[in-house]
Amino acid sequence: MTRVIVRLLLRRLIGAVPLVFAVVALTFFVIRLAPGDPAVILAGEAPTPEFLAQVRAENGLDKPVWQQFLTFLGHAATGDFGRSIYAGRPVFDVILERVPATALLAGTAMLLASVAGVLLGVASAKRAGTTGDAAISALSLLGTSVPSFWIGQLLILLFAVWLGWLPVSGMVAPRARYVGFAHIWDVAIHMILPVTTLAVYLVTLIARFTRTAMIEAMSQDFILVTRAKGVSARAILWHHAFRNAVVTTITVIGLEFGAVLAGAVVVEIVFGWPGLGRLFYDAIYRRDFPLLTGSFMFSALVVIAMNTLSEIACAMLDPRLRDG
Amino acid sequence: MSVTIALRPPWPRPRLPSVATAVGVLLTGIVVAGAICAPLLTSADPLGLGGDILSAPTRLHPMGTDDLGRDLFARVLYGGRVSLGIGLFSGLLSVVFGVSVGMVAGFAGGVLDEVLMRVTEIFQVMPKLLAAVVVVSLVGSSLTNEVLVIGLLSWPATARVIRGRVQVLRGQEFIAAARMGGASHLRILWRNLLPNVFAYVLVSTSLQIASAIVSESFLSFLGLGDPGHPSWGLLLQQGQLFLQQAWWLTTLPGIALAMTVLGMNLLGDGLSKGRG
Repeated sequence: MTRVIVRLLLRRLIGAVPLVFAVVALTFFVIRLAPGDPAVILAGEAPTPEFLAQVRAENGLDKPVWQQFLTFLGHAATGDFGRSIYAGRPVFDVILERVPATALLAGTAMLLASVAGVLLGVASAKRAGTTGDAAISALSLLGTSVPSFWIGQLLILLFAVWLGWLPVSGMVAPRARYVGFAHIWDVAIHMILPVTTLAVYLVTLIARFTRTAMIEAMSQDFILVTRAKGVSARAILWHHAFRNAVVTTITVIGLEFGAVLAGAVVVEIVFGWPGLGRLFYDAIYRRDFPLLTGSFMFSALVVIAMNTLSEIACAMLDPRLRDG
Repeated sequence: MSVTIALRPPWPRPRLPSVATAVGVLLTGIVVAGAICAPLLTSADPLGLGGDILSAPTRLHPMGTDDLGRDLFARVLYGGRVSLGIGLFSGLLSVVFGVSVGMVAGFAGGVLDEVLMRVTEIFQVMPKLLAAVVVVSLVGSSLTNEVLVIGLLSWPATARVIRGRVQVLRGQEFIAAARMGGASHLRILWRNLLPNVFAYVLVSTSLQIASAIVSESFLSFLGLGDPGHPSWGLLLQQGQLFLQQAWWLTTLPGIALAMTVLGMNLLGDGLSKGRG
């Protein structure tokens, strides 16, 4: 059993290598594709001639393109994503500072969305064809149709501006300087709206895919057998059918992680949440290209990691997916 | 070529559209008609400044005005032209690209299929919207760049669906018959396979246009839209600045956007069910 898992882990990890390579290569070529001198792009507007020369030497920009690519690849492999023009510090450090805020936001949203999405999807599949099912399906279509930043804006208008129940934006109350439990409570209050906003898209997506997978699983012969054996409806639903549908749910969560990060960018802007998304946005505005491409590579690597994790989880849950 | 036609799998039976499809057609129709007939519906200039700033909806300005006194109703109608136009062109671009890749991969099989699917996988895993932001910031924002970037980043889903269908059809007798009739690969792809996956192409087109409109609004919301051609996303970006003073600036353009995307999605779902 352990050997199977280890082999599986290794194979998935090796499978992720070409993806990582492709993302780094693509970032390199986008920087080259941009009009203008790549040294100016990396050094920022109006650099001193000395700094320009330094950037050129550090990135090997006076060498042939393939050597530049190798330099870029080498830097990326060692976690050197360049230096932020605005902050004047390594991009990787600037990014790492912002990770906890986004991880808190996205992690909570994904956790809640997974639970709610599965419950809705299973409930919908159980009553497939009824009005309740149609209502859940219509709501999920609506949830996947509207852009998340607009949902955020509506929630602010409703709960913060009109009703005044929740704060408009930020992660903590300004100038309050709470400590201990009061601080945790303060952050939690500020999290309600952004987490809800980010979760809406995921809930509806997970509900849709779980519903389809559950209906498919419920129509299999082994479900008929368990029913004939007199197993309770609840046990059939969760023990037998859902164990088969959960693989689809996990795959969707893994595949959609990129969309979650993109959603986090706009949600953080709408709610003034001090995370990676806000950093990404500031990088666009300040034309801080090393920070922008660095954040992109970082996000893409996280997405690939999440994908690989979800593949491994699926294979552990379903022996049929452990090919070879 | 009559043999080909006789052996072609039966077309889906025509069915009465469901309520959902009808609602989809209605929503899409209203928005498209509004965008096309914009000059007939309002005499206001979407870029023309006015003295009435941040005015709530009135008889004169049915959707209110923004911080520069521009009429929001005109901006939503003309913004529809930008959003729908970008959605249409990038949606079509992604479908043409995706269908080509999917058909070639599914039909050719072997090494070519393997290579194409690896590339597809890379594009599918890559965070599409973030990649679009990076590319547009670096190459500069214009309507053309937005269309190209969104279109060329959104094709993997279509490619996978079409490849799956072509793999099923490839082994059927009417393809073997066409082959024996001496048809070239290109002719088989164009004359025999494309008509048989066309229902899927239509569904993809509808869903891709919807998704492209959302992608465009994402780029515009991050300030990467073309300020000379304000789209719905750009209106929502401006609305964000006055969220607490002027509810109409975010609510109303957002409703137009949501109606369109929901309409196109309902249409796509309806088409895919009608496929039978």
